[in-house]
Amino acid sequence: MATEELVLEMRGVRKEFPGIVANDDVSLDVRRGEVHALLGENGAGKSTLMNILYGLYKADAGEIRLSGKPVVFNSARDAIEAGIGMVHQHFMLIPVMTVAENIVLGMEPSRDGIFLDESGAEARVKEISEQFGLLVDPSALVSDITVGQEQRVEILKALYRGADLLILDEPTAVLTPQEAGELFEIIRSLKADGKSIIFISHKLNEVLEIADRITVLRRGKKIETVLRQGATEESLARAMVGREVLLRVEKAPAQPGDVLLSVKDLHVLDERGIPKVRGVSFDVRAGEIVGIAGVDGNGQTELIDAITGLRKAESGSIAVAGVEVTDPSARRMLDVGVGHIPEDRQRRGLVLEFSISENIALHDYAIPPDAKWGWLFPARMIDRARRLISEFDVRGGGPLTRAGGLSGGNQQKVVAAREIARDPKVLIAAQPTRGLDVGAIEYLHRRIVAERDEGRAVLLVSLELDEILSLSDRTLVIYEGEIVGDHTGEVSEEQIGLEMLGGREKAVA
Amino acid sequence: MTIDPQNVAPETPEEAAHTGTLIASIALKQRAGGIVVPVLTALLAFLIGGLVVLATGHNPISAYNDIFDGAGLNWIFHPTTNVVNTAAYNLSQTLLQTTTLILTGLAVAFAFRCGMFNIGGQGQYFIGLYVANWLGHDFPGMSPFPHIVLCIGAATLAGAAWAGIAGFLKAAVGAHEVISTIMLNWIAIWIGEWLFGDGGPLQNHANATAPISNDIATSAQLPVFWGQQQLQGLHIGFFIALVALVVFYLILNRTTLGYEVRAVGFNPEAAAYGGINVKKNLVAAMAISGAFAGLAGALDMVGYLYHYGQSDIPVSAVGFLGIAVALLGRNTAVGVGIGALLFGALLFGTTHGLQAGASSIDPSLASNLTYIIQGLIVLFVGADVLILYIWNTRKKLRIRPKAATA
Amino acid sequence: MTEWAQRLDNPLSARLRDPMATGYTGLLLGAFAAFLAIPPIEARSKTWPILVGIVAAALGIWTVTRGRKRLGYGAVAAGVIGIALGILATYSGETNLNAVFDATLIAQMFAFSTPLVFGAIAGMFSERSGVVNIGLEGMMLMGAFWGVYGADTGGSWIVGLVVGMASGGLLALVYAYFAIHLRADQIVGGTAVNFLALGITGYFFFQLYHGNYVSSGVSTIPNINIPWIKHTHFLGPAIGHLNLMVWAGFVLVIVSYIVVFKTPIGLRIRACGEHPRAADTVGINVYLVRYGCVVLSGLLAAAGGVYLSDGFGGGTFNDNMTEGRGFIALAAMIFGNWRPFGAFSAALLFGFSSALALKLQIYSASAATLFNALPYVLTLIAVAGVIGRTVPPAADGKPYRKQ
Repeated sequence: MATEELVLEMRGVRKEFPGIVANDDVSLDVRRGEVHALLGENGAGKSTLMNILYGLYKADAGEIRLSGKPVVFNSARDAIEAGIGMVHQHFMLIPVMTVAENIVLGMEPSRDGIFLDESGAEARVKEISEQFGLLVDPSALVSDITVGQEQRVEILKALYRGADLLILDEPTAVLTPQEAGELFEIIRSLKADGKSIIFISHKLNEVLEIADRITVLRRGKKIETVLRQGATEESLARAMVGREVLLRVEKAPAQPGDVLLSVKDLHVLDERGIPKVRGVSFDVRAGEIVGIAGVDGNGQTELIDAITGLRKAESGSIAVAGVEVTDPSARRMLDVGVGHIPEDRQRRGLVLEFSISENIALHDYAIPPDAKWGWLFPARMIDRARRLISEFDVRGGGPLTRAGGLSGGNQQKVVAAREIARDPKVLIAAQPTRGLDVGAIEYLHRRIVAERDEGRAVLLVSLELDEILSLSDRTLVIYEGEIVGDHTGEVSEEQIGLEMLGGREKAVA
Repeated sequence: MTIDPQNVAPETPEEAAHTGTLIASIALKQRAGGIVVPVLTALLAFLIGGLVVLATGHNPISAYNDIFDGAGLNWIFHPTTNVVNTAAYNLSQTLLQTTTLILTGLAVAFAFRCGMFNIGGQGQYFIGLYVANWLGHDFPGMSPFPHIVLCIGAATLAGAAWAGIAGFLKAAVGAHEVISTIMLNWIAIWIGEWLFGDGGPLQNHANATAPISNDIATSAQLPVFWGQQQLQGLHIGFFIALVALVVFYLILNRTTLGYEVRAVGFNPEAAAYGGINVKKNLVAAMAISGAFAGLAGALDMVGYLYHYGQSDIPVSAVGFLGIAVALLGRNTAVGVGIGALLFGALLFGTTHGLQAGASSIDPSLASNLTYIIQGLIVLFVGADVLILYIWNTRKKLRIRPKAATA
Repeated sequence: MTEWAQRLDNPLSARLRDPMATGYTGLLLGAFAAFLAIPPIEARSKTWPILVGIVAAALGIWTVTRGRKRLGYGAVAAGVIGIALGILATYSGETNLNAVFDATLIAQMFAFSTPLVFGAIAGMFSERSGVVNIGLEGMMLMGAFWGVYGADTGGSWIVGLVVGMASGGLLALVYAYFAIHLRADQIVGGTAVNFLALGITGYFFFQLYHGNYVSSGVSTIPNINIPWIKHTHFLGPAIGHLNLMVWAGFVLVIVSYIVVFKTPIGLRIRACGEHPRAADTVGINVYLVRYGCVVLSGLLAAAGGVYLSDGFGGGTFNDNMTEGRGFIALAAMIFGNWRPFGAFSAALLFGFSSALALKLQIYSASAATLFNALPYVLTLIAVAGVIGRTVPPAADGKPYRKQ
């Protein structure tokens, strides 16, 4: 159980990235045998702080002490040698090797100083795994084991290297509830053995279940460190989300019209075949903005991909303006009038090597006026681009400027201009303001409201709760692939925050 | 405000690899240094080649001078169309090589623009050459124009089909085009050895023991416009190659197909999001690439070779030179044209253009110097960081441009 | 999963796709191919044995990918042998058959496959560490020329071997610098290596030997005469006096297997090729491992080249002597699924087809020539069919950027 002995002290840590302060005077201390939760929204600075602790980033200022002694880590290797182990959210495992091989890699036991001692390795792994109750078959291939078991392998990897302080980066994000329960048993057994654990999470119920103390980060700053006793889901949610709302958008009350987008009982799998969208149904009407709030990875990406025809749905139906689309493909959904501002503009929304005018033509390059009989008319593309550049106030270049040379905000305006200029019935905006500066955010928000007033059905997906609350006429909350909240009109942040974090499962059907 | 993930280093190599295709990175470099970088690349290669020459006891300056003359590039000092003049003759021969290299260069460049590396230009060239030889010989009674069109058209299609195999395999099952085009090269080579060798179907009917093909009929031979036909004059295929440069440019920049090909080449994910059928474009781009190479083979056959020997097959390197031409020319029409001229000059200027004994470097040495220079150029073009280093150094010397604001 | 693979998972065809069924069908078809041309069927054309044999080989490859490796390779071999026998039988009677299938065929198979064995193992080391090496051809060519040069000027084949291997290792080091440090595209870089080697060897061959001969009496890599075997009836000509490098190739395969799969170093090499970030996070120096493997790759490929000129070639060199053997070695490595014994088997198969092609000239030079394309056709079928089953190391060809 937790003692008063401090194994880790981080004092005044500061880290800046170009244009952003990721960590600002953050302090954190961890006691021996303690589970210390690190709580915060996406981008609150949790990962940066942990990457500094693990030697992957260098802090601009601040100090790290292990058991009272100041340390400087130049690489992960230094951190490992000092007894720190990290289980990344994306596992660092080699699928084609066995569990034991993955664990001993880099510190292999050998026979006669030459040969790899497979049986020795397996025996050692078995020994540690039994000591901490991390049951896993050492001779199984990693590709054959479950995600929960992979996580155990990662923990074993750290323990094999003698870690006393374990960092678990959103460990339950990839687990089923049963597996999460087993993980908590493992954490308790590690704790009993005197290991300290930093537990990064979004999920309030889990944090309240497992943590001894909880540190909340918000926008790169430490807000508070509290004991589990006395903390409630409400108090933590308030600390995490904060009360001030930075951005408010002026908008008239919505005048909803006909249903333009109707999704019924949609089921979608991710690349690994895991169900990510589980029976989602909702309607979006003309002249209304429907916002989908939720923590990253709860099925938003898969939902949008299915609606835009970029990913095949397992089952369910999608209807646009009352007509069901039976065989959705990207082309088909474009043709029936779905515009899509994708969540990653650089990877999907734009061909960075193309000019602005070519990017604006990305959907319609093959039809008049851009082309006829397979022949392109670049002058017409350029004319249209010039018009849209001035209409959407794209700065930093003309129609022939390479899209990759624009700032993020202007890139996003190009994407928005393309999607809106096609006069879609349904406009899907996935994280439309991610990584943009305030000016661009304001512009896009006003534009989205204007398009609503034009009579489009707008579906907004964002990880920023502020954005959802200030824009949406109706707010849905998605949690683990299901819609768990549905609110029209004013609703408190705390209510939505709770639902997003699974604090109250299926509060509203 | 959140951290823009674009500012953070990729977590895994898979992610890093996803952030840019090869053609995207080459385009980046193209922007980086503009015309300066390819020129520097070529100069550096010539410099190192010169050091090899120097180290082996020859004078690199006079060697390069002789190669320059051997390629007929000194013709610009005394322009004349009379091929009795050595410079004029050499230049016509250099342009003959340039014709082929333009097309094999385009064969590499077009696939590149769709994000694929077509190493199979040599094989596609051979297939075109075989087909042109077969049709050129087996239909002796035809009138010239249709006969030539038949030979060139069929050979072009054959080249397209041969490369299309690699494109199809990539689209259907994801087989890497580099491996499949290498294999197709060697299959094409052995097919040629078989066709022209002892007992082969295209082996010379008149002389059953010579491992050499039939001569194509006169009706299939392209007219020569500079020099004499018997002395391997420059045929009008040269203009076909120039037209091919224009066609290449127009397909890529003025057609919807070209738009799709470029979008897929730069960013397949964005192309799919835009509603483009990525797989279809992989096959089409490979086939068009092969068509250029097949056309090269056809023009060589009906333009000046007329027949082909078993022993010519392993010596031919025009398809591989196309890789260097395309890479040096940054996969653009103008660049390929200039690259083809450079390598055409090297190809002729280091071999037949040089006079053994009279020149300061023996043709046998000089021809291998071409390979060394070619290898160095390809090596340097492939190195992103080296070029980006030059770019970044250059950027530091400039005043920072005002950051675009939203 | 690709659409293509999904279509194949159609339950209707499930029974037909059973690896046992495809494997045995392949074996039977291979046998059938051989009998097509002889009585009672007596097909006059060579087309039928070739077609049936290719189908048999394809079924065999399919079976391999479905896990039944031994059966599958059996079917591939049956297909190939079926083609050969079928073609043979269309030409001739019994006396000729005996002339082809004698013990020297085995000796020649080993002779032809040895450079491929060295090349394939060389490629395997490089690619297992995550660096694609299509420059094998060039590295082999360097070994071929500088090996003879070393043996000639040093007066001993041992000097030749050392000099030749060093030349390949040096070229590999240059390549490694571009591929690893400068993160150049590895395909482009490998292509450059091939051009460079062609130019360098051709240049110095003319500079040093005027391009036509290497002085006679060069010390060559000796043959190993096995006293108690060399006079026996069949084994004598088959393995009684193979070249030293042939035996070295056998040893290399076994040692490579042990190194790659049974030692900590091998584990680290494979980790770098599969997931360099994971290797890095446990303190493995990815760059160092990759440099080591690429240079080793150059040394081994060059050793194959030295054998070619100073063993197999009897101390001669000619321009572009390797004639694509580096690419066949690459093919053997792919065909053998990036594993030492797999690569070895493929190299033997390809060597056998070369030896057979030589022998087949008794009947028809024409058919024998075409037979040389077989390794490439098989590899093309392999890369087309095995996708998703037998796969290269996950990070093969992807430059690694340290954090």
